[in-house]
Amino acid sequence: MRTRLDWWQARADDVAVALLTAMFVAFVVQITARYVINYPLPWTLELSLTTWLWTVFWGSALCLRNRDHIAFDMIYNHVRPGLRRVFGAISALAIIVAMLASLPATWDWVSFLTIKKSATLRIPLAYVFSLFLLFMVGTIVIYTLRLRKIWRNELEEPQREAAPKR
Amino acid sequence: MTLAFTLCLVTLFGLAAIGTPIAHSIIVGAIVYLAIKGQDLGIAAEQISYGLYDSFVLLAVPLFIVAANIMNAGAISERLLRFCVGVVGRFKGGLGHVNIVSSLIFSGMSGSAVADAAGIGKVIIGMMTQGNRYSRGYAAAITAASATIGPIIPPSIPMVLYALVSDTSIGYLFLGGIVPGLLMGAVLMAMNAYISHKRGFAADEVVPIREIPALTARAFPALLMPIILLYGIYGGATTPTEAAAVAAAYALVLAAFFYRSLSIRTLRDIMLDSVKSSASVGLVIGGALILNYIVASENIPTLLANQMVGMEISPMAFLLGVNLLLLLLGCILDATTIILVIIPLFVVSARALGIDLVHFGVVVVVNCMIGLITPPYGVLLFVINGTTGIPLIEIIREIVPFLIALLFALALLIFFPSLVLWMPMMFGYVG
Repeated sequence: MRTRLDWWQARADDVAVALLTAMFVAFVVQITARYVINYPLPWTLELSLTTWLWTVFWGSALCLRNRDHIAFDMIYNHVRPGLRRVFGAISALAIIVAMLASLPATWDWVSFLTIKKSATLRIPLAYVFSLFLLFMVGTIVIYTLRLRKIWRNELEEPQREAAPKR
Repeated sequence: MTLAFTLCLVTLFGLAAIGTPIAHSIIVGAIVYLAIKGQDLGIAAEQISYGLYDSFVLLAVPLFIVAANIMNAGAISERLLRFCVGVVGRFKGGLGHVNIVSSLIFSGMSGSAVADAAGIGKVIIGMMTQGNRYSRGYAAAITAASATIGPIIPPSIPMVLYALVSDTSIGYLFLGGIVPGLLMGAVLMAMNAYISHKRGFAADEVVPIREIPALTARAFPALLMPIILLYGIYGGATTPTEAAAVAAAYALVLAAFFYRSLSIRTLRDIMLDSVKSSASVGLVIGGALILNYIVASENIPTLLANQMVGMEISPMAFLLGVNLLLLLLGCILDATTIILVIIPLFVVSARALGIDLVHFGVVVVVNCMIGLITPPYGVLLFVINGTTGIPLIEIIREIVPFLIALLFALALLIFFPSLVLWMPMMFGYVG
Protein backbone atom coordinates (compact mmCIF):
# COMPACT_ATOMS: atom_id res chain seq x y z
CA MET A 1 0.00 0.00 0.00
CA ARG A 2 2.71 2.40 1.09
CA THR A 3 4.84 1.86 -2.01
CA ARG A 4 1.88 2.12 -4.36
CA LEU A 5 0.91 5.43 -2.74
CA ASP A 6 4.48 6.65 -3.07
CA TRP A 7 4.41 5.76 -6.75
CA TRP A 8 1.27 7.84 -7.29
CA GLN A 9 2.77 10.66 -5.28
CA ALA A 10 5.83 10.64 -7.51
CA ARG A 11 3.61 10.79 -10.63
CA ALA A 12 1.61 13.70 -9.15
CA ASP A 13 4.93 15.42 -8.49
CA ASP A 14 5.98 14.75 -12.10
CA VAL A 15 2.88 16.50 -13.39
CA ALA A 16 3.53 19.48 -11.14
CA VAL A 17 7.16 19.66 -12.28
CA ALA A 18 6.00 19.49 -15.91
CA LEU A 19 3.51 22.31 -15.34
CA LEU A 20 6.03 24.63 -13.72
CA THR A 21 8.62 23.78 -16.37
CA ALA A 22 6.09 24.53 -19.12
CA MET A 23 5.32 27.85 -17.49
CA PHE A 24 9.00 28.74 -17.34
CA VAL A 25 9.75 27.59 -20.89
CA ALA A 26 6.73 29.40 -22.36
CA PHE A 27 7.87 32.56 -20.66
CA VAL A 28 11.41 32.25 -21.94
CA VAL A 29 10.08 31.56 -25.45
CA GLN A 30 7.99 34.70 -25.16
CA ILE A 31 10.94 36.86 -24.20
CA THR A 32 13.13 35.36 -26.91
CA ALA A 33 10.44 35.93 -29.51
CA ARG A 34 9.85 39.47 -28.44
CA TYR A 35 13.37 40.73 -27.86
CA VAL A 36 15.66 38.49 -29.85
CA ILE A 37 13.78 37.75 -33.05
CA ASN A 38 11.44 40.70 -32.65
CA TYR A 39 8.35 38.64 -33.40
CA PRO A 40 6.03 38.67 -30.39
CA LEU A 41 4.00 35.49 -30.04
CA PRO A 42 0.42 35.83 -28.90
CA TRP A 43 -0.02 32.51 -27.13
CA THR A 44 3.00 32.28 -24.81
CA LEU A 45 1.69 34.63 -22.13
CA GLU A 46 -1.61 32.81 -21.87
CA LEU A 47 0.19 29.49 -21.65
CA SER A 48 2.38 30.82 -18.81
CA LEU A 49 -0.60 32.19 -16.89
CA THR A 50 -2.59 28.98 -17.34
CA THR A 51 0.24 26.69 -16.27
CA TRP A 52 1.00 28.96 -13.27
CA LEU A 53 -2.63 28.73 -12.18
CA TRP A 54 -2.54 24.96 -12.62
CA THR A 55 0.75 24.67 -10.73
CA VAL A 56 -0.81 26.42 -7.73
CA PHE A 57 -3.99 24.31 -7.69
CA TRP A 58 -2.42 20.98 -8.62
CA GLY A 59 0.55 21.52 -6.30
CA SER A 60 -1.61 22.68 -3.38
CA ALA A 61 -3.99 19.76 -3.68
CA LEU A 62 -1.63 16.91 -4.47
CA CYS A 63 2.00 17.77 -3.72
CA LEU A 64 1.91 19.75 -0.49
CA ARG A 65 1.71 17.95 2.84
CA ASN A 66 -0.14 19.68 5.63
CA ARG A 67 3.14 20.96 7.10
CA ASP A 68 4.32 22.39 3.74
CA HIS A 69 1.56 24.99 3.83
CA ILE A 70 2.15 28.40 5.31
CA ALA A 71 0.62 28.11 8.75
CA PHE A 72 0.74 29.54 12.24
CA ASP A 73 1.79 26.43 14.13
CA MET A 74 3.19 27.90 17.33
CA ILE A 75 0.26 26.89 19.46
CA TYR A 76 -0.35 23.63 17.62
CA ASN A 77 3.23 22.45 18.17
CA HIS A 78 3.23 23.23 21.86
CA VAL A 79 0.02 21.71 23.15
CA ARG A 80 -0.22 18.19 24.54
CA PRO A 81 -0.87 15.43 21.99
CA GLY A 82 -4.53 14.95 22.97
CA LEU A 83 -5.38 18.57 22.35
CA ARG A 84 -3.34 18.50 19.16
CA ARG A 85 -5.58 15.73 17.87
CA VAL A 86 -8.62 17.87 18.66
CA PHE A 87 -7.09 20.85 16.83
CA GLY A 88 -6.20 18.71 13.84
CA ALA A 89 -9.68 17.23 13.72
CA ILE A 90 -11.38 20.65 13.90
CA SER A 91 -9.13 21.98 11.10
CA ALA A 92 -9.77 19.00 8.86
CA LEU A 93 -13.53 19.00 9.51
CA ALA A 94 -13.88 22.74 8.87
CA ILE A 95 -11.98 22.43 5.59
CA ILE A 96 -13.99 19.39 4.44
CA VAL A 97 -17.37 20.91 5.32
CA ALA A 98 -16.62 24.29 3.73
CA MET A 99 -15.25 22.73 0.55
CA LEU A 100 -18.22 20.36 0.26
CA ALA A 101 -20.66 23.23 0.82
CA SER A 102 -19.21 25.35 -1.95
CA LEU A 103 -18.56 22.49 -4.37
CA PRO A 104 -21.99 22.62 -6.13
CA ALA A 105 -21.85 26.39 -6.67
CA THR A 106 -18.28 26.13 -7.88
CA TRP A 107 -19.27 23.35 -10.25
CA ASP A 108 -22.02 25.60 -11.66
CA TRP A 109 -19.62 28.47 -12.09
CA VAL A 110 -17.07 26.32 -13.90
CA SER A 111 -19.65 24.67 -16.17
CA PHE A 112 -21.10 28.08 -17.00
CA LEU A 113 -17.66 29.03 -18.32
CA THR A 114 -17.81 26.41 -21.10
CA ILE A 115 -19.35 29.15 -23.22
CA LYS A 116 -16.51 31.61 -22.57
CA LYS A 117 -13.22 31.16 -24.37
CA SER A 118 -9.75 32.31 -23.39
CA ALA A 119 -8.23 35.37 -25.07
CA THR A 120 -5.73 33.91 -27.52
CA LEU A 121 -5.75 30.12 -27.37
CA ARG A 122 -9.57 30.03 -27.50
CA ILE A 123 -9.76 27.25 -24.89
CA PRO A 124 -13.09 27.20 -23.02
CA LEU A 125 -12.39 28.86 -19.67
CA ALA A 126 -14.15 25.93 -18.01
CA TYR A 127 -11.07 23.82 -18.78
CA VAL A 128 -8.72 26.48 -17.45
CA PHE A 129 -10.58 26.86 -14.17
CA SER A 130 -11.62 23.22 -13.77
CA LEU A 131 -8.36 22.70 -11.87
CA PHE A 132 -9.96 24.59 -9.00
CA LEU A 133 -12.51 21.78 -8.77
CA LEU A 134 -9.67 19.32 -8.69
CA PHE A 135 -8.08 21.38 -5.93
CA MET A 136 -11.33 21.24 -3.94
CA VAL A 137 -11.90 17.52 -4.40
CA GLY A 138 -8.22 16.74 -3.77
CA THR A 139 -8.29 18.83 -0.60
CA ILE A 140 -11.45 17.09 0.62
CA VAL A 141 -9.91 13.65 0.02
CA ILE A 142 -6.59 14.51 1.65
CA TYR A 143 -8.17 16.03 4.74
CA THR A 144 -10.58 13.11 5.02
CA LEU A 145 -7.58 10.76 5.04
CA ARG A 146 -5.95 13.02 7.61
CA LEU A 147 -9.07 12.91 9.72
CA ARG A 148 -9.00 9.12 9.62
CA LYS A 149 -5.38 9.13 10.73
CA ILE A 150 -6.22 11.48 13.59
CA TRP A 151 -9.12 9.23 14.57
CA ARG A 152 -6.87 6.20 14.69
CA ASN A 153 -4.20 8.21 16.45
CA GLU A 154 -1.65 7.55 13.73
CA LEU A 155 -0.67 11.15 13.16
CA GLU A 156 3.06 11.72 13.18
CA GLU A 157 4.48 14.12 15.77
CA PRO A 158 4.97 17.63 14.44
CA GLN A 159 8.49 18.46 13.42
CA ARG A 160 9.94 21.76 12.51
CA GLU A 161 11.35 21.12 9.06
CA ALA A 162 13.18 23.64 6.95
CA ALA A 163 10.44 25.94 5.70
CA PRO A 164 9.79 25.92 1.97
CA LYS A 165 11.82 28.53 0.13
CA ARG A 166 9.84 31.65 -0.37
CA MET B 1 -18.99 45.57 10.97
CA THR B 2 -21.68 43.14 9.82
CA LEU B 3 -22.44 39.83 11.49
CA ALA B 4 -21.25 37.97 8.40
CA PHE B 5 -17.89 39.70 8.45
CA THR B 6 -17.47 39.20 12.20
CA LEU B 7 -18.11 35.47 11.84
CA CYS B 8 -15.78 35.34 8.85
CA LEU B 9 -12.98 36.81 10.98
CA VAL B 10 -13.78 34.59 13.96
CA THR B 11 -13.63 31.50 11.74
CA LEU B 12 -10.47 32.67 10.00
CA PHE B 13 -8.53 33.56 13.13
CA GLY B 14 -9.93 30.65 15.10
CA LEU B 15 -8.82 28.12 12.50
CA ALA B 16 -5.49 29.82 11.84
CA ALA B 17 -4.74 29.90 15.58
CA ILE B 18 -5.06 26.13 15.94
CA GLY B 19 -2.66 25.49 13.07
CA THR B 20 -4.93 25.23 10.01
CA PRO B 21 -2.98 26.40 6.93
CA ILE B 22 -3.51 30.15 6.50
CA ALA B 23 -4.84 29.82 2.96
CA HIS B 24 -7.39 27.19 3.97
CA SER B 25 -8.46 29.24 7.00
CA ILE B 26 -9.12 32.21 4.73
CA ILE B 27 -11.06 30.12 2.21
CA VAL B 28 -13.23 28.58 4.95
CA GLY B 29 -13.80 32.04 6.48
CA ALA B 30 -14.76 33.41 3.08
CA ILE B 31 -17.25 30.60 2.49
CA VAL B 32 -18.81 31.28 5.90
CA TYR B 33 -19.13 34.96 4.94
CA LEU B 34 -20.71 34.21 1.56
CA ALA B 35 -23.12 31.70 3.09
CA ILE B 36 -24.38 34.12 5.75
CA LYS B 37 -24.67 36.92 3.22
CA GLY B 38 -26.70 34.58 1.04
CA GLN B 39 -24.30 35.12 -1.83
CA ASP B 40 -23.19 32.57 -4.41
CA LEU B 41 -20.61 30.25 -2.78
CA GLY B 42 -18.84 30.01 -6.13
CA ILE B 43 -17.59 33.57 -5.71
CA ALA B 44 -14.66 32.29 -3.65
CA ALA B 45 -13.46 30.12 -6.54
CA GLU B 46 -14.06 32.94 -8.99
CA GLN B 47 -12.05 35.53 -7.07
CA ILE B 48 -9.15 33.20 -6.41
CA SER B 49 -8.97 31.79 -9.93
CA TYR B 50 -9.38 35.04 -11.86
CA GLY B 51 -7.04 36.85 -9.49
CA LEU B 52 -4.22 34.40 -10.06
CA TYR B 53 -4.98 34.03 -13.77
CA ASP B 54 -5.21 37.72 -14.60
CA SER B 55 -2.01 38.94 -13.04
CA PHE B 56 1.03 39.10 -15.26
CA VAL B 57 2.95 40.60 -12.36
CA LEU B 58 2.44 37.54 -10.17
CA LEU B 59 4.32 35.32 -12.62
CA ALA B 60 7.45 36.94 -11.20
CA VAL B 61 6.91 35.03 -7.95
CA PRO B 62 7.43 31.45 -9.27
CA LEU B 63 10.12 32.69 -11.65
CA PHE B 64 12.16 34.28 -8.86
CA ILE B 65 11.71 31.13 -6.78
CA VAL B 66 13.02 28.97 -9.63
CA ALA B 67 15.94 31.36 -10.18
CA ALA B 68 16.96 31.31 -6.53
CA ASN B 69 16.73 27.52 -6.29
CA ILE B 70 18.87 27.07 -9.39
CA MET B 71 21.48 29.47 -8.08
CA ASN B 72 21.71 27.62 -4.79
CA ALA B 73 21.84 24.14 -6.30
CA GLY B 74 24.12 25.11 -9.17
CA ALA B 75 27.07 26.26 -7.05
CA ILE B 76 26.55 29.83 -8.24
CA SER B 77 26.02 31.07 -4.70
CA GLU B 78 29.12 29.25 -3.54
CA ARG B 79 31.36 30.87 -6.15
CA LEU B 80 30.10 34.26 -5.14
CA LEU B 81 30.91 33.44 -1.57
CA ARG B 82 34.51 32.44 -2.35
CA PHE B 83 34.92 35.72 -4.19
CA CYS B 84 33.66 37.66 -1.18
CA VAL B 85 35.97 35.76 1.17
CA GLY B 86 38.90 36.82 -1.02
CA VAL B 87 37.91 40.46 -1.13
CA VAL B 88 36.48 41.36 2.28
CA GLY B 89 37.77 38.46 4.39
CA ARG B 90 40.95 40.36 5.24
CA PHE B 91 39.46 42.66 7.88
CA LYS B 92 38.82 41.99 11.56
CA GLY B 93 35.58 40.08 11.94
CA GLY B 94 36.29 39.21 8.32
CA LEU B 95 33.95 36.31 7.75
CA GLY B 96 31.15 38.27 9.40
CA HIS B 97 31.69 41.01 6.84
CA VAL B 98 31.91 38.40 4.07
CA ASN B 99 28.57 37.10 5.22
CA ILE B 100 26.95 40.52 4.91
CA VAL B 101 28.61 41.48 1.62
CA SER B 102 27.73 38.18 0.00
CA SER B 103 24.13 38.69 1.16
CA LEU B 104 24.19 42.13 -0.46
CA ILE B 105 25.39 40.74 -3.78
CA PHE B 106 23.10 37.72 -3.62
CA SER B 107 20.16 39.99 -2.84
CA GLY B 108 20.76 41.66 -6.18
CA MET B 109 20.04 38.31 -7.83
CA SER B 110 17.40 36.75 -5.66
CA GLY B 111 14.20 38.06 -4.20
CA SER B 112 13.85 35.68 -1.29
CA ALA B 113 15.38 35.93 2.17
CA VAL B 114 14.89 32.23 2.80
CA ALA B 115 16.79 31.30 -0.37
CA ASP B 116 19.64 33.48 0.82
CA ALA B 117 19.81 31.89 4.25
CA ALA B 118 19.41 28.36 2.92
CA GLY B 119 21.94 28.80 0.11
CA ILE B 120 25.07 30.76 0.96
CA GLY B 121 24.04 30.90 4.58
CA LYS B 122 24.67 27.22 5.16
CA VAL B 123 28.09 27.31 3.49
CA ILE B 124 29.32 30.39 5.31
CA ILE B 125 28.15 29.18 8.70
CA GLY B 126 30.33 26.13 8.07
CA MET B 127 33.29 28.37 7.27
CA MET B 128 32.76 30.62 10.29
CA THR B 129 32.46 27.83 12.81
CA GLN B 130 35.54 25.95 11.59
CA GLY B 131 38.38 26.32 14.10
CA ASN B 132 36.14 27.93 16.73
CA ARG B 133 36.80 31.50 15.66
CA TYR B 134 33.14 32.41 16.00
CA SER B 135 30.50 30.79 18.18
CA ARG B 136 27.97 28.91 16.10
CA GLY B 137 25.17 31.04 17.51
CA TYR B 138 26.97 34.17 16.28
CA ALA B 139 27.53 32.69 12.82
CA ALA B 140 23.88 31.71 12.54
CA ALA B 141 22.63 35.04 13.89
CA ILE B 142 24.63 37.19 11.49
CA THR B 143 23.54 34.97 8.60
CA ALA B 144 19.88 35.33 9.52
CA ALA B 145 20.22 39.08 10.02
CA SER B 146 21.97 39.65 6.69
CA ALA B 147 19.51 37.43 4.82
CA THR B 148 16.80 39.99 5.59
CA ILE B 149 18.47 42.25 3.00
CA GLY B 150 17.64 39.77 0.23
CA PRO B 151 14.15 41.05 -0.61
CA ILE B 152 15.03 44.72 -0.02
CA ILE B 153 17.60 45.11 -2.79
CA PRO B 154 15.81 44.25 -6.07
CA PRO B 155 14.56 41.84 -7.19
CA SER B 156 12.09 41.08 -4.42
CA ILE B 157 9.18 38.69 -4.06
CA PRO B 158 7.60 40.55 -1.08
CA MET B 159 7.65 43.80 -3.06
CA VAL B 160 5.85 42.09 -5.94
CA LEU B 161 3.19 41.04 -3.44
CA TYR B 162 2.97 44.57 -2.03
CA ALA B 163 2.66 45.99 -5.54
CA LEU B 164 -0.21 43.59 -6.14
CA VAL B 165 -2.23 44.68 -3.09
CA SER B 166 -1.42 48.41 -3.29
CA ASP B 167 -1.38 49.03 -7.02
CA THR B 168 2.06 50.63 -6.88
CA SER B 169 4.73 50.44 -9.60
CA ILE B 170 7.07 47.51 -9.05
CA GLY B 171 9.83 49.29 -10.93
CA TYR B 172 9.82 52.21 -8.48
CA LEU B 173 9.43 49.93 -5.48
CA PHE B 174 12.49 47.97 -6.56
CA LEU B 175 14.48 51.17 -7.02
CA GLY B 176 13.28 52.40 -3.64
CA GLY B 177 14.81 49.34 -2.00
CA ILE B 178 18.40 49.90 -3.15
CA VAL B 179 19.49 52.57 -0.64
CA PRO B 180 17.62 50.95 2.30
CA GLY B 181 19.27 47.61 1.47
CA LEU B 182 22.72 49.16 1.46
CA LEU B 183 21.87 50.99 4.69
CA MET B 184 20.89 47.70 6.33
CA GLY B 185 24.17 46.17 5.15
CA ALA B 186 26.08 49.13 6.59
CA VAL B 187 24.49 49.01 10.05
CA LEU B 188 25.01 45.24 10.23
CA MET B 189 28.68 45.57 9.27
CA ALA B 190 29.13 48.31 11.86
CA MET B 191 27.62 46.05 14.51
CA ASN B 192 29.79 43.12 13.40
CA ALA B 193 32.92 45.29 13.54
CA TYR B 194 32.00 46.51 17.01
CA ILE B 195 31.29 43.04 18.39
CA SER B 196 34.38 41.51 16.76
CA HIS B 197 36.50 44.20 18.35
CA LYS B 198 34.88 43.93 21.77
CA ARG B 199 35.04 40.16 21.92
CA GLY B 200 38.43 40.02 20.23
CA PHE B 201 37.54 37.48 17.53
CA ALA B 202 40.69 36.02 15.99
CA ALA B 203 41.54 37.25 12.51
CA ASP B 204 40.61 34.91 9.66
CA GLU B 205 43.05 33.40 7.24
CA VAL B 206 43.64 35.90 4.51
CA VAL B 207 43.39 34.87 0.88
CA PRO B 208 46.60 36.02 -0.89
CA ILE B 209 46.04 39.00 -3.18
CA ARG B 210 47.38 37.08 -6.18
CA GLU B 211 44.49 34.61 -5.96
CA ILE B 212 41.87 37.31 -6.23
CA PRO B 213 41.92 37.63 -10.04
CA ALA B 214 41.23 33.91 -10.40
CA LEU B 215 38.42 34.04 -7.83
CA THR B 216 36.94 37.03 -9.61
CA ALA B 217 37.12 35.29 -12.97
CA ARG B 218 35.30 32.26 -11.59
CA ALA B 219 32.60 34.40 -9.99
CA PHE B 220 32.40 36.89 -12.84
CA PRO B 221 29.50 35.35 -14.80
CA ALA B 222 27.49 35.19 -11.57
CA LEU B 223 28.42 38.77 -10.70
CA LEU B 224 26.96 39.84 -14.03
CA MET B 225 23.52 38.70 -12.94
CA PRO B 226 22.54 41.78 -10.85
CA ILE B 227 23.78 44.00 -13.65
CA ILE B 228 21.74 42.16 -16.27
CA LEU B 229 18.65 42.35 -14.06
CA LEU B 230 18.96 46.02 -13.20
CA TYR B 231 19.86 47.00 -16.74
CA GLY B 232 16.96 44.97 -18.05
CA ILE B 233 14.44 46.67 -15.78
CA TYR B 234 15.75 50.21 -15.70
CA GLY B 235 17.22 50.39 -19.16
CA GLY B 236 13.56 49.99 -20.01
CA ALA B 237 14.22 46.77 -21.90
CA THR B 238 12.15 44.35 -19.83
CA THR B 239 9.41 44.36 -17.22
CA PRO B 240 10.30 43.04 -13.75
CA THR B 241 8.45 39.80 -14.55
CA GLU B 242 10.48 39.29 -17.68
CA ALA B 243 13.64 40.11 -15.75
CA ALA B 244 12.70 37.32 -13.34
CA ALA B 245 12.52 34.86 -16.22
CA VAL B 246 15.81 36.11 -17.64
CA ALA B 247 17.41 35.64 -14.22
CA ALA B 248 16.14 32.07 -14.00
CA ALA B 249 17.22 31.25 -17.56
CA TYR B 250 20.64 32.83 -17.06
CA ALA B 251 21.15 30.93 -13.81
CA LEU B 252 20.16 27.72 -15.57
CA VAL B 253 22.57 28.28 -18.45
CA LEU B 254 25.38 29.20 -16.05
CA ALA B 255 24.83 26.23 -13.79
CA ALA B 256 24.28 23.69 -16.55
CA PHE B 257 26.81 24.68 -19.20
CA PHE B 258 29.32 27.04 -17.66
CA TYR B 259 29.80 25.59 -14.19
CA ARG B 260 28.54 22.13 -15.22
CA SER B 261 26.99 21.49 -11.83
CA LEU B 262 23.48 20.36 -12.74
CA SER B 263 22.10 16.97 -13.67
CA ILE B 264 18.60 16.15 -14.89
CA ARG B 265 17.94 14.54 -11.51
CA THR B 266 18.88 17.67 -9.53
CA LEU B 267 16.94 19.77 -12.01
CA ARG B 268 13.79 17.79 -11.23
CA ASP B 269 14.43 18.24 -7.51
CA ILE B 270 14.90 21.97 -8.02
CA MET B 271 11.64 22.24 -9.93
CA LEU B 272 9.74 20.16 -7.38
CA ASP B 273 11.10 22.32 -4.60
CA SER B 274 10.00 25.37 -6.57
CA VAL B 275 6.55 23.86 -7.14
CA LYS B 276 6.08 23.43 -3.40
CA SER B 277 7.17 26.98 -2.61
CA SER B 278 5.21 28.52 -5.50
CA ALA B 279 2.06 26.56 -4.71
CA SER B 280 2.09 27.36 -1.00
CA VAL B 281 2.71 31.07 -1.64
CA GLY B 282 0.28 31.05 -4.59
CA LEU B 283 -2.50 29.60 -2.48
CA VAL B 284 -2.04 32.25 0.21
CA ILE B 285 -2.10 34.89 -2.55
CA GLY B 286 -5.37 33.35 -3.75
CA GLY B 287 -6.74 33.40 -0.20
CA ALA B 288 -5.69 37.02 0.18
CA LEU B 289 -7.51 37.89 -3.05
CA ILE B 290 -10.84 36.56 -1.79
CA LEU B 291 -10.30 38.11 1.65
CA ASN B 292 -9.45 41.47 0.09
CA TYR B 293 -12.63 41.19 -1.97
CA ILE B 294 -14.64 40.73 1.22
CA VAL B 295 -12.79 43.43 3.11
CA ALA B 296 -13.37 45.82 0.20
CA SER B 297 -17.07 45.01 -0.10
CA GLU B 298 -17.37 45.69 3.63
CA ASN B 299 -15.61 48.99 2.93
CA ILE B 300 -13.18 48.40 5.79
CA PRO B 301 -10.08 50.18 4.41
CA THR B 302 -12.09 53.32 3.60
CA LEU B 303 -13.80 53.33 7.00
CA LEU B 304 -10.40 52.99 8.61
CA ALA B 305 -9.02 55.81 6.48
CA ASN B 306 -11.92 58.11 7.38
CA GLN B 307 -11.36 57.28 11.02
CA MET B 308 -7.67 58.15 10.76
CA VAL B 309 -8.30 61.39 8.88
CA GLY B 310 -11.14 62.28 11.27
CA MET B 311 -8.90 61.75 14.28
CA GLU B 312 -6.37 64.08 12.64
CA ILE B 313 -3.58 61.61 13.18
CA SER B 314 -0.30 62.90 11.83
CA PRO B 315 1.22 60.84 9.02
CA MET B 316 4.28 60.20 11.19
CA ALA B 317 2.19 58.93 14.11
CA PHE B 318 0.32 56.67 11.69
CA LEU B 319 3.57 55.30 10.20
CA LEU B 320 5.02 54.66 13.63
CA GLY B 321 1.82 53.01 14.81
CA VAL B 322 1.60 50.73 11.78
CA ASN B 323 5.27 49.82 12.08
CA LEU B 324 4.95 48.99 15.74
CA LEU B 325 1.94 46.80 15.01
CA LEU B 326 3.75 45.05 12.16
CA LEU B 327 6.80 44.38 14.32
CA LEU B 328 4.57 42.74 16.90
CA LEU B 329 2.75 40.73 14.24
CA GLY B 330 6.14 39.81 12.75
CA CYS B 331 6.93 37.96 15.96
CA ILE B 332 4.08 35.52 15.33
CA LEU B 333 3.14 35.69 11.64
CA ASP B 334 4.73 34.89 8.32
CA ALA B 335 5.79 37.86 6.15
CA THR B 336 3.72 36.69 3.17
CA THR B 337 0.60 36.64 5.34
CA ILE B 338 1.27 40.09 6.79
CA ILE B 339 1.88 41.69 3.40
CA LEU B 340 -1.12 40.09 1.70
CA VAL B 341 -3.65 40.20 4.51
CA ILE B 342 -2.77 42.97 6.98
CA ILE B 343 -1.11 45.64 4.82
CA PRO B 344 -4.09 46.13 2.44
CA LEU B 345 -6.09 47.39 5.44
CA PHE B 346 -3.69 50.33 5.80
CA VAL B 347 -2.90 51.25 2.21
CA VAL B 348 -5.98 53.45 1.77
CA SER B 349 -5.31 55.21 5.08
CA ALA B 350 -1.69 55.81 4.16
CA ARG B 351 -2.75 57.37 0.87
CA ALA B 352 -5.43 59.49 2.56
CA LEU B 353 -2.88 60.80 5.05
CA GLY B 354 -0.58 61.82 2.21
CA ILE B 355 2.07 59.15 2.76
CA ASP B 356 3.90 58.17 -0.40
CA LEU B 357 2.97 54.57 -1.22
CA VAL B 358 6.43 53.65 -2.49
CA HIS B 359 7.93 54.93 0.78
CA PHE B 360 5.23 53.11 2.73
CA GLY B 361 5.80 49.91 0.74
CA VAL B 362 9.55 49.79 1.19
CA VAL B 363 9.24 50.58 4.91
CA VAL B 364 6.66 47.88 5.55
CA VAL B 365 8.62 45.31 3.55
CA VAL B 366 11.78 46.11 5.56
CA ASN B 367 9.66 45.80 8.69
CA CYS B 368 8.30 42.40 7.63
CA MET B 369 11.80 41.17 6.81
CA ILE B 370 12.91 42.12 10.32
CA GLY B 371 9.91 40.05 11.42
CA LEU B 372 11.62 37.04 9.82
CA ILE B 373 14.25 37.05 12.57
CA THR B 374 12.11 38.01 15.57
CA PRO B 375 11.33 35.09 17.87
CA PRO B 376 9.27 33.15 18.63
CA TYR B 377 8.12 32.86 15.01
CA GLY B 378 11.01 33.78 12.74
CA VAL B 379 11.18 31.84 9.49
CA LEU B 380 14.88 32.59 8.96
CA LEU B 381 15.72 31.26 12.42
CA PHE B 382 13.85 28.05 11.61
CA VAL B 383 15.54 27.67 8.22
CA ILE B 384 19.01 28.02 9.66
CA ASN B 385 18.12 25.77 12.54
CA GLY B 386 16.77 23.26 10.01
CA THR B 387 19.75 23.32 7.62
CA THR B 388 22.58 23.49 10.18
CA GLY B 389 21.13 22.01 13.35
CA ILE B 390 22.32 24.95 15.46
CA PRO B 391 19.89 25.19 18.42
CA LEU B 392 17.34 28.00 18.17
CA ILE B 393 18.13 29.30 21.62
CA GLU B 394 21.79 29.95 20.69
CA ILE B 395 20.77 31.82 17.55
CA ILE B 396 18.18 33.91 19.37
CA ARG B 397 20.65 34.90 22.09
CA GLU B 398 23.13 36.24 19.52
CA ILE B 399 20.61 37.92 17.24
CA VAL B 400 19.64 40.73 19.63
CA PRO B 401 22.41 43.24 18.69
CA PHE B 402 21.74 42.71 14.98
CA LEU B 403 18.05 43.17 15.57
CA ILE B 404 18.77 46.48 17.27
CA ALA B 405 20.94 47.56 14.33
CA LEU B 406 18.19 46.70 11.84
CA LEU B 407 15.54 48.50 13.92
CA PHE B 408 17.80 51.55 13.88
CA ALA B 409 17.92 51.34 10.07
CA LEU B 410 14.12 50.97 9.95
CA ALA B 411 13.70 54.08 12.12
CA LEU B 412 15.95 56.05 9.75
CA LEU B 413 13.83 54.92 6.80
CA ILE B 414 10.62 55.97 8.56
CA PHE B 415 11.91 59.41 9.54
CA PHE B 416 13.75 60.18 6.31
CA PRO B 417 11.55 59.22 3.34
CA SER B 418 14.15 60.60 0.94
CA LEU B 419 16.39 57.62 1.75
CA VAL B 420 13.79 55.51 -0.02
CA LEU B 421 12.50 57.98 -2.59
CA TRP B 422 15.79 59.42 -3.80
CA MET B 423 16.55 56.61 -6.26
CA PRO B 424 13.03 56.33 -7.73
CA MET B 425 12.97 60.10 -8.20
CA MET B 426 16.26 59.98 -10.08
CA PHE B 427 14.44 57.70 -12.51
CA GLY B 428 11.45 59.95 -12.92
CA TYR B 429 9.15 59.00 -10.03
CA VAL B 430 7.03 62.01 -9.11
CA GLY B 431 5.27 60.64 -6.01
